[in-house]
Amino acid sequence: MQTKPLYIMLCSGEHEKIQLAAMVASVAAVSDRPVEVFVTMNAILAFERGKSPAERYQGGHFHEMFKTQNVPDAVELFGQGKMLGEMKVWCCSMVLDLKHWDCDKNLTEDLFDGPLGLAKFLADAESGELITI
Amino acid sequence: MAERQKIDARGAFCPGPLMELIAALKLAEIGDEVDVWSSDKGSASDIPAWCAKVGHSVVETSEHDGYWSVVVRKAK
Repeated sequence: MQTKPLYIMLCSGEHEKIQLAAMVASVAAVSDRPVEVFVTMNAILAFERGKSPAERYQGGHFHEMFKTQNVPDAVELFGQGKMLGEMKVWCCSMVLDLKHWDCDKNLTEDLFDGPLGLAKFLADAESGELITI
Repeated sequence: MAERQKIDARGAFCPGPLMELIAALKLAEIGDEVDVWSSDKGSASDIPAWCAKVGHSVVETSEHDGYWSVVVRKAK
């Protein structure tokens, strides 16, 4: 039986929430489960091109522990999941418009599959399971 | 002849050891084995569960002084 795709709507800029999204997305993708991630709102700030891992995230209880211990960086973890499994990462077109950003110029290189509207993402997500973080 | 490769992922947090294993398996030949050393407690159950899901074989799992060794054979 084909595994249902997993759709993740990532809204939060908090470190632990982005970390959880990256863990869920990457592990699902390498476990033969197709994954699509829609990055919107404050979460998009973590993916700004040129930011170092120390600059990307907006706190949270585990923020300092993630930074000082050997926890895989969330943005890099998304990249690993995409490289080793079946994962697409979309950036919210509305947020890009508000920030006057271009997906290909302002966001993490080689991670995003392009901009996408919410209605399209929600329509696609009807074929699988949707979680919001 | 099948080979066994060791990955020392001790000190890496979840899902680091699993991701290192998967990257190694991508490059391995069918029948080759990868022995992952992990100090992450979840790896001892996560790696066998992942193998069962995707179709690789767990040869052995053993606990050592502060870490687990999980040997996986590439089956496909």
